[in-house]
Amino acid sequence: MNYFLRRLLQGVLLLIGVSFLTFLFSTLAPGNYLDEMRLNPQISSATLAALRSQYQLDRPLPIRYARWMNSIAHGQLGYSFAYNSPVAPLLWIRARNTLLLAITATLLAWALALPLGIWSAERRGRLPDRALSSATSTLLVIPDLVLGLGLLILTARSAWFPTGGLFSVGFENLSPIRKLSDLLMHMALPVTALVLSALPLLIRHIRAAMVEVLGAPHLRAAAAHGIPHRKLLYGYALRAAANPLIALFGFSVGTLLSGSLLVEIIMSWPGIGPLLLEAILARDLYVVIGGVLFSTVFLVAGNFLADVLLYWADPRIRTMAGAR
Amino acid sequence: MIERRQILRWLLVLGALHAMVACAGFFAPYDPVQQDREHPYLPPMRVHVVDERGHLHLPPFFYALRVREGSVNQFDEDTGKAFPLGFLTTGARYRLLGFLPCRVHLFGTAGARLYLLGSDGFGRDQFSRILYGGQVSLLSGLLGAGFTLFMGAIIGAVAGFYGGWRDVVLMRLAELFLALPWLYLLFALRAFLPLAVSPLKAFLLVIVVLATVGWARPARLVRAVVLSAKERDFVRAARGFGASNGYLLRRHIMPETSSVLLTQAAILIPQFVLAEMTLSFLGLGIPEPAPSWGNLLASLQQYSVLVSYWWMYLPAVAIVPFFVGYQGFANALNLDVAADKIVGKRGVPS
Amino acid sequence: MEPLLRAENVAKRFESGGAFGSRQEVRALAGVTFSIFPRTTLAVVGPSGSGKSTLALCLACLEPVSSGRIWFARTEVTALNAERQRAIRPSIQMVFQDPASSLNPRMSAFELVSEPLHIQKRFDKPERRDRARDLLQRVGLPREKAAQRPDEFSGGQRQRIAIARALALEPKLLILDEALSALDCSVQAQVANLLIDLQASLGLTYLFITHDLAMAAHLADEIAVMERGQIVEMGAARSVVNAPQHAVTRRLLLAAPGVSNSALEPQAV
Repeated sequence: MNYFLRRLLQGVLLLIGVSFLTFLFSTLAPGNYLDEMRLNPQISSATLAALRSQYQLDRPLPIRYARWMNSIAHGQLGYSFAYNSPVAPLLWIRARNTLLLAITATLLAWALALPLGIWSAERRGRLPDRALSSATSTLLVIPDLVLGLGLLILTARSAWFPTGGLFSVGFENLSPIRKLSDLLMHMALPVTALVLSALPLLIRHIRAAMVEVLGAPHLRAAAAHGIPHRKLLYGYALRAAANPLIALFGFSVGTLLSGSLLVEIIMSWPGIGPLLLEAILARDLYVVIGGVLFSTVFLVAGNFLADVLLYWADPRIRTMAGAR
Repeated sequence: MIERRQILRWLLVLGALHAMVACAGFFAPYDPVQQDREHPYLPPMRVHVVDERGHLHLPPFFYALRVREGSVNQFDEDTGKAFPLGFLTTGARYRLLGFLPCRVHLFGTAGARLYLLGSDGFGRDQFSRILYGGQVSLLSGLLGAGFTLFMGAIIGAVAGFYGGWRDVVLMRLAELFLALPWLYLLFALRAFLPLAVSPLKAFLLVIVVLATVGWARPARLVRAVVLSAKERDFVRAARGFGASNGYLLRRHIMPETSSVLLTQAAILIPQFVLAEMTLSFLGLGIPEPAPSWGNLLASLQQYSVLVSYWWMYLPAVAIVPFFVGYQGFANALNLDVAADKIVGKRGVPS
Repeated sequence: MEPLLRAENVAKRFESGGAFGSRQEVRALAGVTFSIFPRTTLAVVGPSGSGKSTLALCLACLEPVSSGRIWFARTEVTALNAERQRAIRPSIQMVFQDPASSLNPRMSAFELVSEPLHIQKRFDKPERRDRARDLLQRVGLPREKAAQRPDEFSGGQRQRIAIARALALEPKLLILDEALSALDCSVQAQVANLLIDLQASLGLTYLFITHDLAMAAHLADEIAVMERGQIVEMGAARSVVNAPQHAVTRRLLLAAPGVSNSALEPQAV
């Protein structure tokens, strides 16, 4: 259990570090947020006074940071000027949508990349492998901005899928099954964009890991013992390649988050992305910080999950952790 | 040997692409900010050599477009009047490579404008705008990457060479920066810098933001090289001759980082160009009227433009050849490094 | 006669392990005491891991000692600060085992040999050029090859470049850390003879580190045998080889080809 506690501690330290960094960046902002808030007619003077005392907005940086950390510990993430409401509930609604997108895209991408990567590693050097390799190379030179916009245009002109939003008009009146299908139709485009942008690198790395393992002596020895091919591939090779693959998984969470930010904005998916952009353009300080923190939490959670998987998959880590 | 040739080939490709963008003024027929409100959102126009009756005409010519009857955005060619293309004509003033005043263009027209890649909402020529926009986007990428590598090299060298608390602090900081998804970091930084600034200031801001986000990985890589180079015998020998730390770093250790820095450059430059495009697309980067590939795409955020005017997407495609070039270059570099390890420099297995 | 170099109870500890892991301490040298007299050759032999290379680095002031003292020509080197130590450096020079790693592959032979002069800011450029040329000639390298890089030389030639470079600052003591071990047998003999000639003509003192007792017997006046960071046997070369006292010495003798040693022959019962 020590192993997990250490990892958790590292994650928490990371969160603290990132929050401080973001807070530090916010001091770069010219002018005072207090002044901006004062000019905003939507915020009453009572709210203003409450905010000022809660966050000590006119005190030096360390004090402001301490007060802000304190309020986070109490579950409050600040106040949004643009929406005139506390940040936390605002963030949470959007976060759910982003998570829906990101998790679906991750699962789908891995579900496609794993078999493709293994399949091409098996047939290394032959035609299917080379064909797949060209396909991934082609996808790699198309950055996600270009891909997302391109998909959007195709869809808009063909009207196969809805090009924005979470639900259609009149969603509440649909039966549950049709609600689900409506949601899936709306998800199709952003998920496709995310999966297509993540797929080439995933396939390449999986293939590389499998190729290295397939060439290992212990695998050839197992084959010589007459172990059937399927068992060899999944029981032996995949398990041996588990370490780099799990590390890849942790890494892919981060890139997928960045990707989803852009895709949500382009395709009007109501997640953290558009919220963050709006907040930046509206100079809504606490929403921006909240959004960045959310992404870090998600990243840390993803990496922690990867650590759990690694612990479960690799006996060496178990013995090492147990020996301490 | 083969690898060297490949590297050269990709360098040539990249050089040609960059040269074309650098000489945007020469290749672009019109001034990028020149508007023509009479002709908004025209689709790409075709250049002909053969007229309706099958006669060959040189120089190539084009027809003006006129709106089809009964529609708002369907166009037909007006075959009544043919406008010839002129080559090496004088046209709008520009500065070649930024400083040489010049008026010669590769091709130009008189009497009507040839919109090779269509026009935007203000009737500006997309072809010219893409070329000029490339200058801004590529320069952002190049300068941003240069800055990043410079910072990364210094930080990595200090961490690797001196070790101790400097190493721990710097590497923890690097971990912090690497932990965040890069776009979030970019946003967070950009969020707190002034939003409504002049194009030049925005340009500088973008570069600074890019460099601040990107230094961590190069720093780590440089640190690794410095750590291992520090232990090499030829460094020890130089120390034995009484060399100072500065001399060791300058003469012996930093040259070892050149291949890492070059590979990183090949990887970072296209990423930074893309980052500038993303920022400008979202309105956080270079503002109008200065063209950049990113803000050329900004109009696509309107649904009407997205559906009806597909040629507004073309600036996005402009970056793809550069990605191809840089990726090919990076791959060739990696192959070269790998080849050196297996086969000695003179082709003799070491 | 005064010794040129004297080491007294020199010890060196290496620590490894991070803040969270277990700290491991390696004692590379555990109290080494000896002297070297001018114009002689002391060979330090021992199996791998006995601390020979660490000793070389400490004596060359390239690694700080953990405890103990070192004197060089009456100056206590270990008591000097970094700047004064740098002033002593020209007198003690080192030749490393593998010239492929001790010569910067990006520099030409010429640049390599003149680098010490450049660092110490001795002479002006033309004179440095002349001296470098002389040095290369002295170690038997053809002049035409001076502008070539190390990878265009053979192993033996590279080591000659390393020796020439070590002589650039006119040192009194030359530490040769397994300088012949990486060379082919035939080349070893040639370079060994070069070293002998140089010692005679320049009046050099050698500290010769090797695991090959036969080579030590050939080149050295005195031999010190090391095991696990300590000197276990030391004496005149001939006596050490003919009448080995310590088990380690005996093992090394068995491993050394071509050394005739009656002491090791099976005794008639």
